[in-house]
Amino acid sequence: MSKTALRMEDSHAGPVCVLSISGRIDSGNAADLLDRLNELISSGEKTILIDFKEVLYLTSAAFRVLLVATDEAEQKAARVVLCGLLGQVRELFEMGGLLEAFTIHGSREDALARL
Amino acid sequence: MAKPVSQTTHVVIRNDIADLAALRTAMENVGAEHGMPEESLFKLQIVLDEMVSNVIKYAWPEAGVHEIEIRIAVRDGSVEVEIVDDGRMFDPRDAPRRDKPLARQRLQPGGLGVQITKQLIDRIDYARIGNRNHTTLTKHCVLQRTASVRE
Repeated sequence: MSKTALRMEDSHAGPVCVLSISGRIDSGNAADLLDRLNELISSGEKTILIDFKEVLYLTSAAFRVLLVATDEAEQKAARVVLCGLLGQVRELFEMGGLLEAFTIHGSREDALARL
Repeated sequence: MAKPVSQTTHVVIRNDIADLAALRTAMENVGAEHGMPEESLFKLQIVLDEMVSNVIKYAWPEAGVHEIEIRIAVRDGSVEVEIVDDGRMFDPRDAPRRDKPLARQRLQPGGLGVQITKQLIDRIDYARIGNRNHTTLTKHCVLQRTASVRE
């Protein structure tokens, strides 16, 4: 499997569902991320923390998915929260003017301490 | 005198998002062949995905199967990507830049990808030649290896 292939793994930390993502998120696989988020929201998860620490790069296709999923979650009284935005990944959020469009914490530990 | 072209990779894909995989692989191969730093390679992969997916989604309102040509030219100290399509005219240099943080409901088709692309590359050129858009993106980057001149 390519080093940049998208991998997603969810686990629980108390009431928080943590979705760890690694690899790249682009036009070719963003729909897979949306499917996974929709599954988690539909299954009744109320707080979904997406950890970007292992993400290599992402494109605007990822931002669209995150915006759609955030809205979908709010309609179901749930929330999507982001953490682990480092280096180039954080810069891409900045370039898109998107840092204020989401709830973003530093590390996973920081996020779990606040959720 | 113009710097010689070290090597050009030519890729033709259809206007199908699934075809972007072939383009990504071609860019990966170019990066590996020239010892391109990972950060530069990832930035080029992002701009290719943004610009070519925009062409796929918006260039042909009437749909149908079309071809998109991509030429990746590695020169001394820079990578030049030319995207050629026969879709409706679109000059990415004219796309407005957002200055304020984006509100969720204000995502406009294509706008975000172009905004990010402009910040990741060093130069963007555009020409409408005949019925084709020629969009050229240039990124300076340090290459570990330079291929032999093939001109």
